[in-house]
Amino acid sequence: MSIWRNGFKSLRKLGSLTAIALLTACAHTVSVDGEFPTPVGNQHPLTVGVYLSDDFRKFTYSENRDDRDEWNINTGRAQKNLFETVLGSMFRETISVAQYPSNLPQGLDLVIVPEVRELQFTMPRETRVNIFEVWIKYDMHAYNQRGDSVAEWVITAYGKTPTAFLKSQEAALAQAINVALRDAGATLYTGFDRVPELQAFIANKQRALTMKTANDAD
Amino acid sequence: MRKLSAFMSTLALSSMVLTSGGCTTVVIDEYRRSTGELAVGDSVVILGRRHSSEYETEPDLINCVGDTLHNPESGVNVIPEQQFVDALYPWFEPRKAPMHIKSLSKLMDIPDVRNRMEQYGVKYIVWIDGSTETTSSAGSIGCSIGTAGAGCFGFGTWDKESDYEASVWDFRDQELSGKISADAQGTSYMPAIVVPIPLIARVQNNACKGMAAQLKEFLLPPQSASR
Repeated sequence: MSIWRNGFKSLRKLGSLTAIALLTACAHTVSVDGEFPTPVGNQHPLTVGVYLSDDFRKFTYSENRDDRDEWNINTGRAQKNLFETVLGSMFRETISVAQYPSNLPQGLDLVIVPEVRELQFTMPRETRVNIFEVWIKYDMHAYNQRGDSVAEWVITAYGKTPTAFLKSQEAALAQAINVALRDAGATLYTGFDRVPELQAFIANKQRALTMKTANDAD
Repeated sequence: MRKLSAFMSTLALSSMVLTSGGCTTVVIDEYRRSTGELAVGDSVVILGRRHSSEYETEPDLINCVGDTLHNPESGVNVIPEQQFVDALYPWFEPRKAPMHIKSLSKLMDIPDVRNRMEQYGVKYIVWIDGSTETTSSAGSIGCSIGTAGAGCFGFGTWDKESDYEASVWDFRDQELSGKISADAQGTSYMPAIVVPIPLIARVQNNACKGMAAQLKEFLLPPQSASR
């Protein structure tokens, strides 16, 4: 009798394991955890606060459509690393702000707040091109110490990676996302002073610093 | 026992055939505007163009050319691609990299970028653009498994084509030194009689070796290149 009971138990276990396996068979999870190099170039003469919200730091893109498998893509940690590294090297001084808009430290010229607007990706079988492609769009906000908007701009990033032999879809997609994040960092770094409002803001700050230096010399 | 020895000999034959491979033809063309001036302490950077959305110059091709060319004893010091791109982030990212030598001159207006390039002792930047693609395939192989054993029967063949162009920029003189193109074609075969026997044409690898040999002649001064 106990043989039968054990047999039933084993069958039930097997059945539930199969059910779980079937349910999760088409779900893919990607966790991107990139480290990014420090940019090389000129620094802007500004003291900037950077506010990366919890949503931004833990960002996960989830997609569950009829024509596609289920995907959960976590880019939070990688994009936190990227923005901290790039913004940290762009300005004379960068301060990480834990709360916004309250309790801001004194002496900030700007507070920069990034947000993910959109993430899209394509797989090789969808485009019939042997590459994985990723697009990420960020909404960038710059505020002054009082919380007034100084500038708003958009960063679009693109990354791709060829299909590689013996590489999983998840690994290939994570690599494409890392390329896209590097591209986002490059656009942020090289495009910051091309935003008209920020260009004027930097010019004003530069003028004020020049006048201060001249006055100090007198 | 006899079965095992027959299987082992088939396996040995397969591995022997594997090493022989399919046939590849490589055509290298060169357009030269100046003679090589690579001196002791100078470095070469080999970078892949990745701005096109339709193809991507393979990182392994770039590594292969770099590894084949790198020989400090004969005066060629190659900086690995990833190391260089990271050290000069973000200026050599796929969508930000200079497309023309004039854009490179503009980039050198940034003192930190110029200093880093000088620290590396960069004399030449070689941009490789292109890819290897499977152009056609034919045949079929079927495998089956039964109580008597397993086996495959059939025949497959496929063609591959490599098309690469290397532009050599002289960083110090801020000019285009020349261009090298490599076109390679090859057909691979896979007959299967119990065991599939791949006869692989190493098209990309041969394009890499051909291009590296030509680049060595291109970059070194005439008397050193023959060494």
